[in-house]
Amino acid sequence: MTVRPHKVAGVFMLDSHLATKGEAIYGEKVFGEYRLWSPQRSKLAALLKKEENVPLRPEQIVLYLGAASGTTVSHLTNIVSLVYAVEFAPRVARDLVRMSEHFKNVVPIIADALQPDYGHIVELADFLYQDIAQPTQAEIALTNAEMFLRTGGYACIMIKARSIDVTAKPKAVYKREVKKLEELLDIMCVHELEPFYKAHAAVIARLA
Amino acid sequence: MTIIKTWFGEIELHNDEIVHSNVLKADADAIAMRLQEEEFADLDKQYRGRLRQMAIQLGVVTSEEDYISLLRTVAIKRAKEQIAAAFARPDARIMQLIGGIDDIDESINLLSERLLEWDILEFEISRTSDLAETHAPQSTTYPALKHEFAESIERLSEMRKKTAGAIELEMHAIAPNLSSLAGELLGARLIARAGGLESLARMPASKIQVMGASKALFKHLQFGAKPPKHGLIFQHPLIRGSPLNKRGKIARTMAAKLAIAARIDFYSKKAYPELVAQMEKRARELSKPAIREQV
Repeated sequence: MTVRPHKVAGVFMLDSHLATKGEAIYGEKVFGEYRLWSPQRSKLAALLKKEENVPLRPEQIVLYLGAASGTTVSHLTNIVSLVYAVEFAPRVARDLVRMSEHFKNVVPIIADALQPDYGHIVELADFLYQDIAQPTQAEIALTNAEMFLRTGGYACIMIKARSIDVTAKPKAVYKREVKKLEELLDIMCVHELEPFYKAHAAVIARLA
Repeated sequence: MTIIKTWFGEIELHNDEIVHSNVLKADADAIAMRLQEEEFADLDKQYRGRLRQMAIQLGVVTSEEDYISLLRTVAIKRAKEQIAAAFARPDARIMQLIGGIDDIDESINLLSERLLEWDILEFEISRTSDLAETHAPQSTTYPALKHEFAESIERLSEMRKKTAGAIELEMHAIAPNLSSLAGELLGARLIARAGGLESLARMPASKIQVMGASKALFKHLQFGAKPPKHGLIFQHPLIRGSPLNKRGKIARTMAAKLAIAARIDFYSKKAYPELVAQMEKRARELSKPAIREQV
């Protein structure tokens, strides 16, 4: 097996498998000090597998919206300095909190990202990551970018076309969502997450 | 002069200099308590970028690592409280019970089907004495095993009765109007599908009408198939027992009344028996043949 660093510092390729360095937490496969990161379980992994130029850096503070049970968060903590992980549903937030107890750099927040009431807790973020399957997801991204993202900071927004409009073609939905995001953000690129996720795309943007 | 309210305390600034502060020093319990009790407004972006520095300057923490460590401890504490509170909702239990009923039903069906197949096998073998001899079971526990299988099914149906009884009690307490209009089980199912009594109370009647028929609904929206007349509420005897061509109209009325019932239940809990009477009257009117209109 050959190990090579991914373009994103802190991420590694073990042959064709993505991995980060750290303690295993949710039953993922481990090779030595590497934890495998499956693109089937994490949209960020799917993105990193398809595109190496993702502006994640070790010193960044990340605001993560839609953290769910924290699978992706747990890998992100191996890459960046601090993750503010927001999740609304109590059932999955339970797993997120349990996971947070294992990492020194995760701050779990139970809140509705559409009405952010964590303004007194979260610092200025360098990177906004959003994985929320809601029809209002563009609005959520804009609200949070405006409140929390520093000038020059990056955003990565996962769009699930099926959650926005099941009747429209996914590509048309991406276009519409990107247009909404352009109100505030400079769009850098859009990547579809096929074959790992159907009708999903990742938008990478920057706050000028 | 600006006063900002952060998670670790209040800070008063004048020309960007801290002139006064009221902060809680490294006391996670006290901070978590304050987060729960007080209201917080949004913070201006210029201060958000300075939170760490201000906390260190004010002696809340001694280093950046300390800042993260304290914040993390507080956040985990607060999150645990919020999770506990979310699970303590009265409708959360009803949703578990209804899920339990569905699981029991599924189990009963599976086991019954198995037992039936098993019985057919035995019966067919026993019809011919030759076969009965050559195919006799090798294990002596065989008849007892079969019996135990049947007993399990019986135990499950006992359990179902008890679960349904528990749902009835819970439903009377938190949703009296929904219970009398829809029946406790259907009412509980509607709550479960909506994701809670509050969500159901905020739902438009048109959504309640087709809740549980999403496949048909999306076939309608996507491909122009006929719209569904009813989802879960089809289980109601007034709809199921009505002539096919009236069911749509009755379902519409039913959904409207259910929406009202859910709202009364969530916001006031007062019993409003007129709802049931109105519904029955309307169903009678709708079920009548249309000949009278010619008079």
